Amino acid sequence: MTPGARARRALLIDVIVAALIAALAFSFAAGLGVVAFFALPLFLIGLLWIVVERLVLRLRRRRRPAG
Amino acid sequence: MHSLGVDDRARRREIPPPGLWRRARRVILIAAFICLVPVAVSWVHTLRRPRNVSWSIATVEWARAHGANPLVSQVENWYYELNAPSKGGPPLKSLPQVGVTTASAQPRVHIYRPPRVKPLIHPALPGEGVWHPASAVAGRRPPVLLTTFRSDPEYPQFIAGVAWIDSGRTHLDYVPGLAEPPELESRGPAEVPPAKRDRIAATFNGGFPLETSNAGLVYRGEVLAPMVNGIATLVEYRGGRVDIRPWENGENINPNIVFAKQNLPPIIEEGKLNPNLSDGPEWGATVNNAIRVWRSGLGIDKRGNLIYAAANYQTVESLAKVLQRAGAVRALELDINEDWTSFISYRRPGAKEPSNLLPEMFRPNTRYLEPDERDFFAVYVKGGR
Repeated sequence: MTPGARARRALLIDVIVAALIAALAFSFAAGLGVVAFFALPLFLIGLLWIVVERLVLRLRRRRRPAG
Repeated sequence: MHSLGVDDRARRREIPPPGLWRRARRVILIAAFICLVPVAVSWVHTLRRPRNVSWSIATVEWARAHGANPLVSQVENWYYELNAPSKGGPPLKSLPQVGVTTASAQPRVHIYRPPRVKPLIHPALPGEGVWHPASAVAGRRPPVLLTTFRSDPEYPQFIAGVAWIDSGRTHLDYVPGLAEPPELESRGPAEVPPAKRDRIAATFNGGFPLETSNAGLVYRGEVLAPMVNGIATLVEYRGGRVDIRPWENGENINPNIVFAKQNLPPIIEEGKLNPNLSDGPEWGATVNNAIRVWRSGLGIDKRGNLIYAAANYQTVESLAKVLQRAGAVRALELDINEDWTSFISYRRPGAKEPSNLLPEMFRPNTRYLEPDERDFFAVYVKGGR
């Protein structure tokens, strides 16, 4: 199996696990308001994390001497 | 160039799957996104409905109505605890002008008027606790009287606004709002109907939404939410008599009831403060009773007249004391928070010159002259002014 195929398979598994977690959240939460209360901050923090990580990586690459 | 592009693509294809930590983050992010899709659909649907509140208030109300009431209340508790007022402060020199100051002579025939509210802080400020007619054309027997007084000696800056409503001269209507109560087939205009504005004397907020009050509502003889024993209930019977009492009839609804609205346990019963005004499970998921915030309440005096009170920075206990001091023998708490506390009187017929009971009330004095989210009460003068 190529690394690319392995990555796609990992993504598929992650999406299925995420969907299961979401289904669990909907079945246990008292309502959409509770789901939003926890999901929105998680989503925003996750996005912010990725953005910051990308920025840091880019900065590191720029600082690395050429050659 | 060509060989470089091939290398690049090959390298990209060989990117290994992310590590465990990154995959966990990805799972959480995707799960949160999946959760937020129906949330967004429901929220946008709510915001697209007609409303007269800002999107932020509508969002909080949406969260409350969708199971997050305890969470929202907890956040509010933290916010209000951080912003609690400090005791003392420079003494006030005057009170806001409420009602209409008339120089008319005392009526020749004896007409009952409530006694002046005895000030709590001495020396009293000019006009403190003195009742004034709410309307400029009130006649000899004003249907609504207004007054203000400082409500707490430890906090001499706080002013309570109180309205006394003559039950013999007025008729109380329960008016459903645009969104409250939620289950209602024939909703009505959600504002003071234009055809009835020539007789409107006052309007005031209607109490917690059913979703958060866990209490009952009967409207036009129909049970919109099951009545709960022991909960304070404002009842109007056919013929116009109103009362405030703890509900004791279970599911039996007297056919003479026009409306019955419940809100939390009574705060005053038979002239005495509820001994359990500090927090307890019976108050439900609301802002802690000891938190100082805008609060409003409705009481009834021993003659059957209604007394409305509202003020900023009140605990449930201090609000109950305000109502008790103004003459209430039984009372319930109505809405809290600046967004929902409103008492508006109309100085001229036709709902002209609307005036908030207290100048610092947040909502505009035209609130109930346009469709409102929440249910409210309208006080009409019987048989014209």
